[in-house]
Order: sequence, then structure tokens, then C-alpha cells
Amino acid sequence: MLMQTLAHPTVLQLDAAGIRLGTKSFGPFSLHISVGERIAVLGPSGAGKSTLLKLMACECQPATGRIWFNGHLFAAWRLADLSRYRAMLPQSSDVAFGLQTDLVIGLGRVARTHDTGLSDIVRASATLAHAGHLLERRFDTLSGGEQARIQLARVFAQLWDAREGLILVDEPLAALDPGLQFDLLDSLDAYAAARGHAVVAILHDINQAVQGFGRLLLVKNGQLVADLPSSAEVVSALESLYGIALRCVCDQQGGLVIAPLRKTVRRPT
Amino acid sequence: MKALAAPLLVGGLLLGVAIAVQCGAVPVTVGDWLGVFGLGGTGADAATGGAYVLWSIRIPRALFSVLVGASIGMAGALTQGLFRNPLADPGLLGVSAGAACAAALTIVVFAGLPVSIPLSWRLWLLPAAAFGGALGVCFSLDCIARWITPGSIAGLLLTGVALNAVAAAVIGLCTYLATDEQLRSLSFWTLGSLAGANWVLVVLLACLLLLAWWRVHPWVHAMNALALGASVAAQVGVDVRQLRSQVIVLVAVLAGFSVAWCGMIGFIGLIAPHLVRVWVGADQRQVVPLSMLMGGLLLLVADTLARTTAIPAEIPVGIFTALLGGPCFLLLLRGARGRMG
Repeated sequence: MLMQTLAHPTVLQLDAAGIRLGTKSFGPFSLHISVGERIAVLGPSGAGKSTLLKLMACECQPATGRIWFNGHLFAAWRLADLSRYRAMLPQSSDVAFGLQTDLVIGLGRVARTHDTGLSDIVRASATLAHAGHLLERRFDTLSGGEQARIQLARVFAQLWDAREGLILVDEPLAALDPGLQFDLLDSLDAYAAARGHAVVAILHDINQAVQGFGRLLLVKNGQLVADLPSSAEVVSALESLYGIALRCVCDQQGGLVIAPLRKTVRRPT
Repeated sequence: MKALAAPLLVGGLLLGVAIAVQCGAVPVTVGDWLGVFGLGGTGADAATGGAYVLWSIRIPRALFSVLVGASIGMAGALTQGLFRNPLADPGLLGVSAGAACAAALTIVVFAGLPVSIPLSWRLWLLPAAAFGGALGVCFSLDCIARWITPGSIAGLLLTGVALNAVAAAVIGLCTYLATDEQLRSLSFWTLGSLAGANWVLVVLLACLLLLAWWRVHPWVHAMNALALGASVAAQVGVDVRQLRSQVIVLVAVLAGFSVAWCGMIGFIGLIAPHLVRVWVGADQRQVVPLSMLMGGLLLLVADTLARTTAIPAEIPVGIFTALLGGPCFLLLLRGARGRMG
């Protein structure tokens, strides 16, 4: 087991990386992400989850500290090369001019100059993201859930032929119905596992995080307050993170379900 | 229908040029056409009359209006793509106003200076000043936007609006200070006219357009990624800053050149990309070249109307582009109302 962990090289390394946005400062964050890891980022709204994700995506340069991606300093990467190994699914998706959906998916691969088999990859990515029936339509005529599927397909297309890359997901599933959320998370799982991509996802659903992700990063007030494997022991850390009381329930299959308790329920106990 | 867009537009342009050169104050005959190609057999006579009108006035003017329309259409398509905004056009960035402002300052201020300029220089002085003005506005726009709102495309647009207002104020001041004669020459810049067309300009602009397309086509697909937003564009590997400055320089050169010789011609840069997008969809790889053809066709029609409706007088072409463009734009808006939030 230990050997296996050692054999996994680091994809991303944050070395006391911090940033100031306006009057708020975030970090310093220090952490390693190994190949194929599945990490959920949890925290209250405005805690700095998206900022941490932006640092990981190298969307903004850190003011302090350093970030290494695949053994090279982030600043040394060309954007076009970086885009072959790192993809991000943004929180909101807005596409100007009503581009065609297959063009939007294909744009994930815009940095490649000679891209043979582009249309096959677009089709396969769309099918994997449950969006095969949405091809050749205008993006701005789709519903919110359909747009999220197209954006996910774009991320799939971007890293389709890459190995051991990094996918960053900024809670784009929060507004979707539960069935679709699970479908898309399953697709993401299968896709990332087949290629050894690490996945870092910001989530609001505690159960999704604990059940589907091996490691949790808890962020509060711009700081990384905990970095721990997901298990039943995380409940107390989550309680202090959100400032709420949680109750663990085991279902008939032995699965763990964490249910938040409302204040009105808590008071008598 | 979509695949036919390019052939149809090219056919429309050829037909348009053929019709446009027939129209005008002086009627032309088949003999005059033969004269143009040196087949009339009239020798020295070929350089006068109908053949002269065709070769030295109408053909260069028709070609020039197509080329100017093409460069404005291209500049409009690039600007709208850069700002992800269907309302953007080079005029909004202050490029046209900057050029007109420099021309107005030259007309009003230089006239007061006790310097005599050779006549041959004077012909180039105003266009050169206007071109300089357009480039000046564009580069100061880029510098100011980098300084105040680094990396923000919306910030660039708003900076353009502010510069536009300043340039408009300077034009207003020049109008206020100008004499009657200077006012007449100022109105050329604010209303636009293609009367200055000649073969030298046609060749110059054709070379410029070819050069521009050669520069644009490697990264026109990357401009599609801008429609996803600047941060997503960066994530899929597009260097947004570099793309932005390349587009701005190109828009400044294209719009600057046309304003420098033709004054401010409104609406073509706005409406040509719109028509193309409704026709073939929003892929910039199609929108940019087809906007060139569409802009050329629109300006050719507008200019032919401008010089033939009130023969022998000539109405400023800017009036016709706005008259044609306004209602056209309203129709487009009506078609898109279901998609606007």
C-alpha cells in the first residue's frame, strides 16, 4: 500500500502559495496532489474555495510562495501546453453569440494546431457527458442543465488523449437535479479513472464529498483548516467548519449518510 | 444555404460592381468599355469621355468602396468577437472619433499657422493626421486600460467609451472655432464620403487587406474561445492578452485607414457581422471573412445610391449607411428577441 502511494508522482504542489484579492488575503496554502487522486474542497460561502481552485488552475499568479505542476514551476508553463494537462469546469457558463454546441465542445482543443479526429472526440465526449443528443444546437437555446453537460463535454474533450492530468471542478452541478448530478459525477469518475487524471471538486453536498472523494480539503476564512481522508471521523471537523451540528446515519447497506440538524431540532437535545 | 454564403456574396459583389460602374451622371456605352481595355481603336480619345470616366473614376471608386466596406466589416467582426458583445464596433472604441478628431485639429489649427505646405503634401496631410489619430487613440486606449483595469475586457470597452467622449468633445470644440469653409471640410469627416477614390488607394488598401487576413487567419479560431469568457479561454490555452493586443492593432489599422480617407462611415462595421451571424452562425472562422464580403457589398450599394440619387450632387455616404442600417438592425433585433435576456 505504501509502495503504491510512493509510486504515484505529484501532479500539483502548492508551496505556501498565497494571494491577496482586494482587502482579503488567502493562504498560504501548502499541499500535494498525486496522480489520480480525488479531492473534494468544502467550506462555507466566501471562504476562498474558488480562489484556491484558481491558484491550482494557475489562473492567477500567487503573490507569495510557489506552485509546481508536473515538476515545473507554473510560471514556466506556456498556456497552450498547460491546457493539454489541466482543465477546469467553471461555476457559471455563459457563451456569447450562441455558438453551436459541437463548436463549444471542440474549443476545449483549440490550442492544438493539428488535431486529427477532432469530430470523433467531440462526439465521444458529448456522449460521455450525456449530451450526445444536444449536438448541432445553439448553446444559448439550451437549459441550465443542458449547458452544464456541454461544458463538461468540453472539459472531457480537452483532456481526452492526455494522461495523468488535473481536472478542476467549481461546483457546477449544484443547480442540477439529483439524478443528473449523479450521472455526471459517475461520468467524471469513469473518465478520470481511465486516464489517471486527478480531480479536485468544490462541492456543497457533504455526502457527495464523503462518499465519492477520497480526500477532503476544508477551507475557512481564506485558510486551509484541514486536509484529511474522508471517513466517519471527518464529522467533527465538518461541524466546526460550517458551525452546525451533524448526525451520522448508517443505511441498510452500511453506507454512511451525514445529515445536518437544524437549530430548531438541536435545541432540545 | 450556409455553404452557399461565400459564393453568393462574391457573385453579389461582382454583379454589384458591374451595375455600380454603369450608374452615374455620364452614360457609358459598350464602346467606352472597349476603350478601357484598349480595344476601342480611338487611340488618344480613349483617355477622354466615357472610357476616362470608367477607368479613372467609376471603377476605382466601386473597388474602393468594396475594399473600404470589407475593412470596416472585418474590423467590426474582430471587435465584436473580442468584446463578446454584438454591440461593439470600431466606432465604440473611439477609433473613428480619434481619427476625425485629429483631422479636425489639423483643419482648424494648421490653417492658423503661418506655414505654407506644398500642394502635393497637402493631399496626404489630412489622411496621415487621421490615421495617426486612430492609431494614437488605440494605443493610448490599450495603455490606459492596462494601467487602470489590467486584463479586463469590459474595462477596455469602458475606457474606449471615455476616450470616445473626449474625442467627440474636441471635434465639437473645433466645429465651434472653425470658419465656414473649414466647417465644410469638417463635415466630410463626420458624414463620410468615398469621393477621394483613386487607383493608388485601391492598390494600397487591397494590399493592406491581404496582409490583415494573412495575420488574422492563424488565430481566428482562437477568437471563438473568447466567446466562452476570458478565463475559460485562458484555460483552454489561448493567450488572451496577446490576442487582445493583436486584435486592437489590426482594428486600429483597418478602421484608421478607412476613416483617414473616407471619414466616419457608420453602421457597416456593426451590421455586416450581424447579418453574417444570422446567416451562417457565430463561428468566427466564417464570420470574419464573410463579414468582409458583406461589408463590401453593403458599402458598394450605399455609395452607389449616395452618388446617383441626386445627380449631379452627391449625398454623404454615411447618411445612406445609417438609413439602410438602422431599419435593418431593428429587423435583426426582432428576429433575435426570443434569445435576449
